[in-house]
Amino acid sequence: MKILVTGASGFLGRAVVRAAAAAGHDVCALVRPIADISNFTWPDTVEILRGDLRQKGGWSSRIDVDAVVHLAAAPSGDLTTQFAGTVQATENLLESLDLQSLQRFVHVSSFSVYDFAAVPLNGLVDETTPIEPIPDARDAYTITKIAQECLVKDTCSLAGTSCVILRPGAIYGPEKSWDFGRALSTSSFDFIFAPNATFALTYVDNCSEAIVKAVTAPSVSGTILNIVDDNLPTFRQFYDACRSAGAPTGRPVHVPWILLSALGLGVRLLNSVAFHNRAKLPEFLSYRRQQARWKPRTYNNALAKAELGWVPTIGLSEGAFLMIGLGQFMHAEGISVETRPNDS
Amino acid sequence: MSQIPEPFKVAVIGCGGIANEHLPFLASSLLVKLVGVCDISNATAAFAKKRFEAERSFTDASEMLAKTSPDVVHVLTPPQSHTHLVSMCLNSGAHVICEKPMTSSASETASLLALAKEKGKILIESRNLLFNDIVLKMDQLISNGTLGQVREIDLLLALDLNAGPFGDLNLEGPGVDLPGGAVHDFLPHLAYLFLHFSDFGCPVDDVCGRFENRSGNARVGFDHIDALVTAGHCRGRLRIASDIKPDMFRLIVRGTRAMVETDFYNPFMRIQISSDSGKMAPIEQVRSGMKLARSGFANLRDKVMQHGTYHGLPRMLEAVYEGLHAGRQLPIVPADIVATAELVDRLVNLRNAR
Repeated sequence: MKILVTGASGFLGRAVVRAAAAAGHDVCALVRPIADISNFTWPDTVEILRGDLRQKGGWSSRIDVDAVVHLAAAPSGDLTTQFAGTVQATENLLESLDLQSLQRFVHVSSFSVYDFAAVPLNGLVDETTPIEPIPDARDAYTITKIAQECLVKDTCSLAGTSCVILRPGAIYGPEKSWDFGRALSTSSFDFIFAPNATFALTYVDNCSEAIVKAVTAPSVSGTILNIVDDNLPTFRQFYDACRSAGAPTGRPVHVPWILLSALGLGVRLLNSVAFHNRAKLPEFLSYRRQQARWKPRTYNNALAKAELGWVPTIGLSEGAFLMIGLGQFMHAEGISVETRPNDS
Repeated sequence: MSQIPEPFKVAVIGCGGIANEHLPFLASSLLVKLVGVCDISNATAAFAKKRFEAERSFTDASEMLAKTSPDVVHVLTPPQSHTHLVSMCLNSGAHVICEKPMTSSASETASLLALAKEKGKILIESRNLLFNDIVLKMDQLISNGTLGQVREIDLLLALDLNAGPFGDLNLEGPGVDLPGGAVHDFLPHLAYLFLHFSDFGCPVDDVCGRFENRSGNARVGFDHIDALVTAGHCRGRLRIASDIKPDMFRLIVRGTRAMVETDFYNPFMRIQISSDSGKMAPIEQVRSGMKLARSGFANLRDKVMQHGTYHGLPRMLEAVYEGLHAGRQLPIVPADIVATAELVDRLVNLRNAR
């Protein structure tokens, strides 16, 4: 099958291109015009298409593929920047595709679309968890990822295109460490918030494998699948695993959820009484955003495993080693993080 | 007890960046009713409609004008599209509030203002910074004589124009399609601030300086200006620099009795009345330091309360709509808009000087 991978030069995109090529697909990798891909170790068979989805250009008339894996998004910047790079980019992509003849559109969304406030303490987050009803109370990423997902869902539904939406948790791997699970750090201390809460992680290669399987999985059209690894660690366990793998860490200070949420609730009350809820607070002081990131809850990947026949093969200790130990070694040796031992 | 007037039917063309500053006012003000939003991107228009509770969304401006018959249209698209859209709106019988720069030249601006006059409509170019808290306080210092007669106005916008979409080499075409490139997009702010403090009535005499592309980034067009301007007894230095840090938008106004300094990005107000030398100078410095510390706390509060650089915009819009309702002179008049455009023209023409 010939697959277009958007956002191919990004952290997840590089791994998806590699995994799709390894699975025997013909891959067309859409990368930005000035992206430096000289150190990528993609097979020679990978076709490179240069273009920026924010603007319809030459790329839009050269797409002739069987399936699309849509990863492109702008995860940082203000709302205008993220909207252009996430929503307008997706609109341009969808308008450039022959959706009727497309066999599958795999859209990679995010856990951030969920309404975590609706999940009770230690409750389960799964594909039936509602979508955040007040995205403005979260952040630009949540606002734009929800808008992007709705756009994909509505457009594919209207065109009758087979569409699968994947919602990965926090994707980690070389170059993306989630600050080893720390919420804040000073030169000496690392603050681990809600240390016993589960960290919804997926290693980048596990996630890539699930995405590639979603391209051909037979009966998943119209479904939403959460992608997280097996045996998820707590924030404390992730931090400890990173530390064991050689991450440069300080002295850990654990801030339990009950203390953090009490602070968030206190600030929320103050904001309501004194500022009529107009104050824009940092993540660690905003109760709604605290809940999204640190509130203790459980996850499962049963549906993704059943529908995709997917088994996440890289566990926490190997993942932490690949992320930190191997990453440091390769950086010191000047080797691209694209070159993994099993690639050679 | 005053009666709440019938709200104006308002439509917006262009729902990108700056629209996010206009739309919260339009969604919340009792003076207006948001009847339509329009953007060439359907997703953007639909998002704005939902977020700001507009009645309808469109991807075609002429269709929106025909179907919603707005009393006022906000034109918030990239500058190169303004002339066509403003004309279309005026011809449809709507007043227009247009983002700066309204056109790429003073002659085009004058033509649009003439069309507005012919149609009996109001045409306004935005100048939100004049409605910021700090500018209003500085106006008071001038009107109550604290500064004396204004003699010097220094403006410095330090911002890397190459770092944003203007200079993004992943995108095709010019960052902004204006003769003065990215600098041109910001020049109206500098021009109207200079003219405001030098008293709009006084014509500009001399303009000299350099207008350059220092980065070599072709997409940005121009990223640097350093100009000296004189107008009657006032002189000014107007600068935009992309190659210095930290980012700032500094304004210093010096008068015959005192000087005042501020920054639009992190507002403070430092007034210096007495001399830098003499017995009282250290006390004056301590006093200034304490004021600066207080400004630090005020800026922190402003950040938390989202009272940012654009906080003057809703105040400007409110003044415009109240003026429209009352039928009185608006706070931004055609003569000032033309004077601003003419100064911008002269500054942009420096790109040809060697």
